[in-house]
Amino acid sequence: MSLITMRGVTKSYPGAGGAFNALTAVDLDIAPGEFVAVVGPSGSGKSTLLNLLAGIDRAAQGEVRVGECLLGAMNERELAAWRGLGVGIVFQFFQLLPTLTAIENVMLPMDFCGRWPARERPDRALALLAQLGVSDQADKFPAAMSGGQLQRVAVARAMANAPPLLLADEPTGNLDTRNAQALLDILADLVQDEGITVVMVTHERTALHRATRTITLVDGRVVNQMQAAHA
Amino acid sequence: MVLAMATGLAGAGAILDTWAVVGRATVEGYRASLPASATLAVRGLDEPALARVRAMPEIAAVRPRRAVMAAVQSQGPWRNALLVALDDFDARELGRLQPEGGAWPPPDGTMAIERSSLEFAAATVGEPIAVKAGSAEPRSTRVSGIVRDVSLAPGWMEHVVYAYATRATLAQLGLGGYFNELQLRVRDEGGGRDAVRRIAAKVRDELERAGVRVTSIDVPVPGRHVHAGQIDSLLATQGAFGILALGACALLVVNLFTTMLAGEARHIGIMKVLGAQPAQVARMFLAMAASLGLAASLIALPLAAWIGLRYAALKAELLNFPADGFGIPLWALAAQLAVGVMLPMAAVAWPVRRACRAPAGESMRDIGIVASGQSFTARRIGKAAGLTRPLLLSLGNAFRRRERMVLTLLALAVGGAVLVGAANLRGAVRASVGNLFEAQRFDVSLRLADPAIPAGLEAAAGAVEGVVAVESWRGARASVVTADGASSDAFTVIGLPAPSRLMQPAVVAGRWLHAGDDGALVLGLSLARENPALLPGATVILAIDGVQRSWTIAGIVDNGPQPLAYVTRAALDAVRGDALATTLVAKLAASSPGGQLDTVLRLRAALGDAGMPVAGSQLQGENRRVVEDHLVMVVDFLAVMGWVMIAIGGMGLASTMGMAVLERRREIGVLRAIGASNRAIMFLLQAEGLVITLLAWLACLPLSIPIGALMAEAFGRIMFPVPVPFAPDMAAALRWLAIMMAVSLAACAWAARQALRVTTARALAYE
Repeated sequence: MSLITMRGVTKSYPGAGGAFNALTAVDLDIAPGEFVAVVGPSGSGKSTLLNLLAGIDRAAQGEVRVGECLLGAMNERELAAWRGLGVGIVFQFFQLLPTLTAIENVMLPMDFCGRWPARERPDRALALLAQLGVSDQADKFPAAMSGGQLQRVAVARAMANAPPLLLADEPTGNLDTRNAQALLDILADLVQDEGITVVMVTHERTALHRATRTITLVDGRVVNQMQAAHA
Repeated sequence: MVLAMATGLAGAGAILDTWAVVGRATVEGYRASLPASATLAVRGLDEPALARVRAMPEIAAVRPRRAVMAAVQSQGPWRNALLVALDDFDARELGRLQPEGGAWPPPDGTMAIERSSLEFAAATVGEPIAVKAGSAEPRSTRVSGIVRDVSLAPGWMEHVVYAYATRATLAQLGLGGYFNELQLRVRDEGGGRDAVRRIAAKVRDELERAGVRVTSIDVPVPGRHVHAGQIDSLLATQGAFGILALGACALLVVNLFTTMLAGEARHIGIMKVLGAQPAQVARMFLAMAASLGLAASLIALPLAAWIGLRYAALKAELLNFPADGFGIPLWALAAQLAVGVMLPMAAVAWPVRRACRAPAGESMRDIGIVASGQSFTARRIGKAAGLTRPLLLSLGNAFRRRERMVLTLLALAVGGAVLVGAANLRGAVRASVGNLFEAQRFDVSLRLADPAIPAGLEAAAGAVEGVVAVESWRGARASVVTADGASSDAFTVIGLPAPSRLMQPAVVAGRWLHAGDDGALVLGLSLARENPALLPGATVILAIDGVQRSWTIAGIVDNGPQPLAYVTRAALDAVRGDALATTLVAKLAASSPGGQLDTVLRLRAALGDAGMPVAGSQLQGENRRVVEDHLVMVVDFLAVMGWVMIAIGGMGLASTMGMAVLERRREIGVLRAIGASNRAIMFLLQAEGLVITLLAWLACLPLSIPIGALMAEAFGRIMFPVPVPFAPDMAAALRWLAIMMAVSLAACAWAARQALRVTTARALAYE
């Protein structure tokens, strides 16, 4: 049983020299609890793939199914509600809101989705921050934190509504080696301990060792899928 | 941005255009009419006396005339009228009159109506008009033409019908035919009003040596229309607000350019990497600012000209001048164009310099959501108030670009403060008028056709049904005699019974009249302001109907804008050598206008039957409405600029929110990516706009006090001083808040729609 199914997915963008195919006829299945690394050269369609899985972009052809949801059939309101509960997203540049503290950033998705009762949200947020080793940063604003701390808070925010799927777009791209390794450990732990499915776009060669499967994209097509030895 | 700039430029430009056109119309028009330098009220003027004055070297021209007060009735009610008879209607050297229709000069047996009182008189050329003076029966004549006399304040404003006729016509109407005024024009008015007064005093002496009695002298400010000062003050005040509006525009331009430059930072960095000098890049953006200014000016110039010409026509109407044929001078258009182009360039100079001097590498970095300032105080207040996180986020976002927020707040708050200040002033004016009329505890004043004995008058009036109380007053024309023998402008001195039950004005300094006050004089505030040396305790010599007498100033009272002084009737009787009354004031039982009118008709009939006919009557209720309307009109003129500024502020808020959306496009994408619905995004932006609006409102409340005081100061110079309360008019403030909240919601809805049109994927994409 797959958590993610992509069938014949094509996505093109208009460009100065005509339409540009970011993805072409992609078929993909990802099972629950997989830690998938998506790699490929610039412009190969990695981010487009992630956007389609997050429901923040729509395929021109084919279908994208996550769990029971056929994303192409949902309207924007339904997609926003689904995304809030069903997907956590981690960005390369953290993208924490600068006017909120770390704990408030983590609670914000809970506020939007109302999944947890209001009085439980601070405890849950604090627990997530503790799980990621940054509970001491809870009341700090993003401007007062290091890159590693920011990315941990960003992961905690992505986990706020306990989504079954975590999408990460080059999450280590803006971290030093030590912090990058620590973040990969965290993601691997989430997969292993909590059964979360992680799909991560990365250029980081060491990240491949943590993933259970590596998908290689070239010119919008899946050219290789490699199961890790440790999987 | 172009629209907001155009609004500010059009507002300020319209004032400049009005000023320029009215200035030309009044200066050229008034001087071209060769107005009288002085007017002397005379008795016994004859040709030999006139010849003596004409022979004086200082005198350029003289014109005798007969001026009488009467009542006229055409197709409306009876109106007070000033009828003027001349021998030479086409005199070119003094007081030129401009015929505007019908026969000119008016043939014997007819009269020409001054155009500004034609509508007030409800008269039509060719139609009959009844004239009544004194105890005589009304007689009918015909309106034969229309004439304009630019030296007069408009008849509709003064509530007087001005009419011109021959002496023969006046004699036919039973109004006498002898001259009672002498207008003169001095050769050189360069010495100012005092010099003219000295010459007028010499003329008086010359006339008196020839056996002519001079009872009063009026000397206007040479070359200046009687209302020109008020209009100048009004335009200067509006001009000041026009400059404020331009300032608000400049703030808006700074805001928009700062944001635009932030968006262009990467391109600036690329240009610099390619070898562009900072000055070259700066010139590019300054040229862009200039072209935006030019575009705004091209919209604003015709709009300002259109508004300015109409506004000038209205102002000219207030001054009784024709504004037709006066175009907007080239210098005014050039000034507006220069300001329109230079203002945005000056406004963006600093942000452009800052952007162009930033290192290229820094300009080209794009790390998504950037940290920026926030107000910890606002955050603490928000948390203490129990705001939810989305609301805290909105609150924090409002403070993220503090410089921009302050500029937006300023533009909004100043506009609000002007509007609330104007409401404060309006309230103060109404309160002052209320106090003024409260002091006058009578409902109607009746001007008698001929002076009457007070006891008989009061007895006859008191017996009329519906009359509660009456008092007999006596009026006379007076002027202050200065040490060098010259006379001030003539004013009315009113003789009252002391103590008066029906006149109890608010005392500003000293005291009100007491019984037995033989030589005591109480000045009205307006007269006291014209003569600052006349303080309680001082003595002053007044010439009343040619009789000079010393008076001691007992006090100063608030009596509104009219230059009046008060003495006891007994003291005035002593000067005149008889004991008569010229006016009756009465308190009536009826409070409705209809009931009061009925009582007045009975009163007029009873006095007529008793041999004391009434020449004119004035209900205080109507009087109050006219006074209020005129005063509030001035306040409303001042408030217009508040609306212009609110329009600019509203556009400023819209653009600020638009900029916030543009800048935070990626942040909004992140919010949508973590589950925020479109509605939640809309709510966040709306709340942010409302935070700015609420802060602007809070800022405008204290700001409205000094602005209201400045407006009151301007109003005081234009009309009369009013005490403005040191608290904002909350009803007006709440009205402004409601309007601005609606503007904010609309502006933010627009900005949010722009934000939500961008797909989340596109919002999150890196260039």
